[in-house]
Amino acid sequence: MMFLATFHWGWLVAALLLGFAMGWIAVVHRGHGVSKALAGWLGALVALLLAASLTHIVPGRVGYWLDLDLVIFAVYLIGCAIGSWLRNRVLPGPVSAA
Amino acid sequence: MRGLARWSSKWWPGTIPLAVIWALAGWFSTSPLETELAGRSTAALKDVLLDKSKITVSGRDVTLVADAFSEEGRRNAVATIEAVPGVRLVNDETRLVPEAKPFVWSAERDVVRVTLTGSSPLPTTKGKLLEAARADLGGVEVVDQTNLSRGAPPRFDEAALLLLDQVAKLKDGKITISDSKVSLAGMAREIGGREAIAAALKNLPEGFSVAANDIKAPPYIFQANKDPVALTVTLTGYVPDNNAHTAIVASAGRKFFSEKVVDNLKTSLGAPSGFSNAVVPALGALSRLSTGTLVVTDREVKLSGDVLYDAAAGQLRANLIKDFPQGWQLKADVSVKPAAAPVDATVCQQLFTDVLGKGTIRFESGRSNIDADSAGLLDHLIEIALRCAATNIEVVGHTDSDGDGPANQTLSERRAQAVVDYLVKAGLPASRFAAIGYGSTQPVAANDTDEGKARNRRIEFVVKEQP
Repeated sequence: MMFLATFHWGWLVAALLLGFAMGWIAVVHRGHGVSKALAGWLGALVALLLAASLTHIVPGRVGYWLDLDLVIFAVYLIGCAIGSWLRNRVLPGPVSAA
Repeated sequence: MRGLARWSSKWWPGTIPLAVIWALAGWFSTSPLETELAGRSTAALKDVLLDKSKITVSGRDVTLVADAFSEEGRRNAVATIEAVPGVRLVNDETRLVPEAKPFVWSAERDVVRVTLTGSSPLPTTKGKLLEAARADLGGVEVVDQTNLSRGAPPRFDEAALLLLDQVAKLKDGKITISDSKVSLAGMAREIGGREAIAAALKNLPEGFSVAANDIKAPPYIFQANKDPVALTVTLTGYVPDNNAHTAIVASAGRKFFSEKVVDNLKTSLGAPSGFSNAVVPALGALSRLSTGTLVVTDREVKLSGDVLYDAAAGQLRANLIKDFPQGWQLKADVSVKPAAAPVDATVCQQLFTDVLGKGTIRFESGRSNIDADSAGLLDHLIEIALRCAATNIEVVGHTDSDGDGPANQTLSERRAQAVVDYLVKAGLPASRFAAIGYGSTQPVAANDTDEGKARNRRIEFVVKEQP
């Protein structure tokens, strides 16, 4: 993992910044969110991909791309979380849901 | 936490540009990543002993194809690659180097090259043996056709290096190690090479043994050439040791009374048994030829040239075969020198005096038996006697002053008679010769030194016109 992080740091930083921006926006965004059912399905998909990655069942380049995808996605989520949390902190007063 | 769950439901739009980032990262990083991992894996395997190793990388998965020299080496190679940072999986396609049973290695030498065939245990050994062969055989082409195999006997390297040294001593032949048995066949390069190889084989490492040693020695050659124009006898070739060398050269000095002995002999092992006992009489036979060559090859003696008169040819063959040690063979190609022109009594006397001035007829000490070393000198005297058939010849014996007078008188007479008998045996008519002895009464030198005494012990020929 350390190897992936050092080898792809540029791409990961891009994903982190993208996540940060998305998280920042998400706090004040008034559009529709993902429904709970869909979120559940998406979570299951991610869990499945994670399981495939950890068990090394996908060979060769496709396996590498799967790992890369998961790492970038994880960094994106972290970026989102930080962005949303910071935006929430700097906003004056409680923000009501849209 | 509720806030985070709420916000996260709106994070999804970012996944679209995220997918683009992922695609770009995959597009641009896959090939460099594979190159990087291949380089790291190759570097990691640098110190691991493998043959025919090949690394291919697909994504982060490394496929290792290689021949390992032990099960442990195989596991070690896979573990080494697994430990390379960034590698996800190792596809282990290694196998063990095949085991050779029996483990055979051989070095064969022919006229132009040395070929190494069979099995070598490790690449390092293979390289080391090839290098050693090139060093030992300076200039000769070395072709390495060995394959790598497991199953070499312990201390194989040491044994193979020692045997490569022996290949250098061969003219042609083959040396083979089969498990721990060594076989040798071929022809040694030099006289003594076979013995040198046999001696070196005693240093084979423990566990190795010689199954067959069929190294042949090149013929052991001794040659003597009598040149009547240059007045030389040239000795070439080999003698077994310094004692034999001295004895043969000294014997040649006694037998060839008028020629200079040129000694080009070398000492070497490998002489056939009875060498000196055969060469000394053969030199005696050569001394009886006017011109000739003696070639001793192993146990075969070839004598060619011209004898000085008819009867000498038969005597020479008969005497030589009698004198040779058992197992020795004679090939005599002897012709008779054409008779020289007749001369009168005065010239005849001059010729006798000349010849007897160069050499003395020798006898056994205190006795009247003619020494075999004088055969050549006597043949020359007989040839001269044949040229002046119309003369009578007095053969006169003298002694030194040692011993009492009557004994010396008798000895001188008997010695003179022995010479006459020899001449008659050679075919000269007895009626032409008279044997006379003067004991020590007519010295030609003082008898107070050994040298003087030696000069006084002599046979003289006095030519008289026939009445």
